[in-house]
Amino acid sequence: MASRTFTASRLPGFATVAIVVFIALYMPIAMLMIYSFNAGDSIAIWDGFSFQWYERAWENEKVKEVTIRSLVIAGSAATISTVAATMAALATTRKKPFRGQTGIYVAINQPLMVPEIVTAVALLIFFAAIKVATGYQGLGYLILAHSAFCIPFAYLPIRARLEGMDLTLETAAADLYATPWWTFRRVTLPLLAPGIVAGMMLAFVTSLDDVVITLFVKSAGQDTLPTYLLAQIRRQVTGEVNAISTVLLALTVILLTTFFLLTRKRS
Amino acid sequence: MKKHLTAIAVLLGSAGMALAEGELQLFNWGDYTNPELIKKFEDETGIKVTITDYDSNDAALAKIEAGGHGFDLVVPSANYVQIYVEKGLVQELDLSKLSNHGNIAPQWMESSYDPGRKFSVPWQWGSTGVAVNKTAYSGDINTSAIFMDPPEELVGKVNVTPEMNDVLSLAIMYEGGEPCTEDTEILKKVRDALLEAKPKWQSMDYGMTEKMAANDVMASVYWNGAIFRARLQNPDVVYGYPKEGYPLWMDQVMLLSDANNTEEAYKFLDFIMVPENAALISSFARYANGITGSEAFMPEDMKDAPEINVPAEFAAAGHFLPTCSPKAQEYYTAIWTELQK
Repeated sequence: MASRTFTASRLPGFATVAIVVFIALYMPIAMLMIYSFNAGDSIAIWDGFSFQWYERAWENEKVKEVTIRSLVIAGSAATISTVAATMAALATTRKKPFRGQTGIYVAINQPLMVPEIVTAVALLIFFAAIKVATGYQGLGYLILAHSAFCIPFAYLPIRARLEGMDLTLETAAADLYATPWWTFRRVTLPLLAPGIVAGMMLAFVTSLDDVVITLFVKSAGQDTLPTYLLAQIRRQVTGEVNAISTVLLALTVILLTTFFLLTRKRS
Repeated sequence: MKKHLTAIAVLLGSAGMALAEGELQLFNWGDYTNPELIKKFEDETGIKVTITDYDSNDAALAKIEAGGHGFDLVVPSANYVQIYVEKGLVQELDLSKLSNHGNIAPQWMESSYDPGRKFSVPWQWGSTGVAVNKTAYSGDINTSAIFMDPPEELVGKVNVTPEMNDVLSLAIMYEGGEPCTEDTEILKKVRDALLEAKPKWQSMDYGMTEKMAANDVMASVYWNGAIFRARLQNPDVVYGYPKEGYPLWMDQVMLLSDANNTEEAYKFLDFIMVPENAALISSFARYANGITGSEAFMPEDMKDAPEINVPAEFAAAGHFLPTCSPKAQEYYTAIWTELQK
């Protein structure tokens, strides 16, 4: 029986358009990766295969320093935002709908909607006042700022998981005289774990890649990997930037793949 | 969990302590500071230097204006020097603490934006000119006609860097005006000439060190240091100084009003005016430095490089770009928008 439903993939030229789009999306990244293995100094003339840029990046103290800083910030921000997001997700799905719930959704997902540059400028002015008043200029500001904009990225997968979970299990636990805490600890949390891990990874990657907010919030000596890369390409692009970008890309891909494996619907 | 919290607390604490004595916070352009220079300074003085990168004058100014940044020294471009001074963001230098101040070359001592160098110490300077691949064109290259009225051989092979101030200044001087002019007669001529020339261009893009070296682009409006690096890879690339007038730029180090490490900052400023150390700055980012006597310590390939050492006959044509009035800025933007359509 011929299907009457509309299917985009049957439109004429669908395959051609798809291929063109994929090439446009991935060719530049592929080129970047290929030239990270260039033996020559140029990023436009191929001189043979080598790992020299990876070696140079590995030996570059500054690269090590900014990478560690990025990982510390992303790790802390992912942890804080995931804890907050888990609590928010439980409060918005395991309770009777209450007045103002839509308002709370909007508030939680605000970082997704407000343009990043607006948040960045606001944070710059706000944190600068605190920095002057307290004299504290540590990493705390970056961690706080990252935690805030990572919350929706952690929240969405956790909430999706909670909504898909069968409530009867929790009800059954309560019927068997488990305390609310015990029910949460032994039933809800284990079932929710894949969602939490997925949310945390998403938050981690989001924090790791951030440029705009970091640029405005960072104090003296607080370059992260992305802001370091940005400052490098201004004057002369070397294969080192390609090599670092490739590693960063690989890390992101690994984390995102894990995310998809964890959130994939079990058949 | 408690262990984690302690670890974080220690980390935050240590970052907060970064203002202790014997430290210096330098806020500079990315990929612009020679690690050897910093190492030498640290070895000589025991002062620990931390470098933080920025990628535009505007971003740096915004952070410093907001306050609470923790930086001691910043390296703005010439047309931003007055802005820092007027806003009170930088301190007037106490020249008695700078024994090497006399090493600043006379031509840079009397700069229009900081006469007598009371607020700033030169870091590096360069020019915007026209680069040509001599296998494609063998005529006179010391003229803005290379892009304003490209010769037959270069039609469709010229790149123009998408830097509004550089390109419009070159074009205005080519048409006989002054940069930042508000004379609409001249500006109309400039606009018409640019719009007429544009179909003969290949692109408006960056990255010419690689593209000129690879023979992908045969001529370009570009910066001298980048073209010098292109020529080292491809000897056919030559750099021209437009005789009608070309922009000069200089980045200089300034001491911030709210610096925490003033004494260390003075030591650093004095340190970079020693010819040998100034040469270290140049050997990394490949631009000239403005310190008399540094030539002797320059890398061999830079000593006689025509891109770095301006030939005497073209020296007078170089001009620092003033900060344009809002009105001139408006004209600039209007022409630039039309050009980019």
